[in-house]
Amino acid sequence: MNIRFDFIMHWLWTIAFALLALSGLAMVGPRYGWLLSYDIASADFVHRVVAGIYVLLTFVSVAYEIVRAVRNDNKRSAWFIIGSSGYQLFTFITTLVFIITGAIIWVCMDSNMAATAFALYIHEKLTYIVIGSLIWHIFMKAHALLWPRKRVKDDKAL
Amino acid sequence: MMQRPWFKAFIWFAATSFFFMASGVLISYLGPEPTEAQVMAYMKGMMAAMHNSLMGFSMSLEEDSVLKALISQTASVTIPLIFTGIGFGVLVRLRRGGLG
Repeated sequence: MNIRFDFIMHWLWTIAFALLALSGLAMVGPRYGWLLSYDIASADFVHRVVAGIYVLLTFVSVAYEIVRAVRNDNKRSAWFIIGSSGYQLFTFITTLVFIITGAIIWVCMDSNMAATAFALYIHEKLTYIVIGSLIWHIFMKAHALLWPRKRVKDDKAL
Repeated sequence: MMQRPWFKAFIWFAATSFFFMASGVLISYLGPEPTEAQVMAYMKGMMAAMHNSLMGFSMSLEEDSVLKALISQTASVTIPLIFTGIGFGVLVRLRRGGLG
C-alpha cells in the first residue's frame, strides 16, 4: 500500500482540528456548553492534550516544507495542510494564529488578564471563521464523499 | 485508500462532525439566552476543569509548599548531576578519539 505523507498529515490534522473545535466550542460560554453536556472538565483536558498534538503536527509540516524548499522540490502536495497559496495558505496562517493565541491563553491566564481576553477573542472568532471555511472546503471537495460503486483493488489510487 | 469503504465512512464521519459544529455555533449564537440552570452548569463545569485539568494540577503544585520545597531540593541535586553526567560523557568521547 502506497500512502503519501501529505495524505496522512491531512487526515491526522482533520481529526486533531475536529477534536479541538468541538472541545473548544463547548468552553466558549453557557450558550455553547450543551455541545458536550456541560462537561467542561473533559473538554478542557481534551483541548489541552490535542493542542499539543496539533502544534506537533504543524511543526512537522513546517519542517517538511522547509526541507522541500531546501531541496528545490516543487512537486505539488495536493493533500498537504499548508502551502504557499489558496486554502493551504489560509490554513497555515490561521493555524499559526490559533497556536500563538492559544499559547497566550494558556501562559497568561493567571498573570495577564488583558492579553488573555484579547487572545480569547481572536481564538474564538477565528474558530467560527475556520469552521465556516471548512464547510466550504467540504463543499468544494464533495466528490470525496461519493461512495465507490465497485470495490477498487488498486491501492495506489489515493 | 480513498476508495475503501471504511475510509469513506471515516470521511463522512469527519465531514458530519464539522456540519454538527457549524450547526451548533448557529444554534448557540441565534438561540435564546441561557437559563440560570445552564449558566450554573457551565460555571460548575469550569470549576471542575480548574481542579481536574493540567492547570489545576499546576495550581495545586503551586499551593503545596512542602511539595515545592521537595522539588527545589531534588532539583538542586539532580541538575548538577545532569551537567556532571554530560561533562563526563563529552570527556569519555574526547578520550576515545574526538566527538566525530
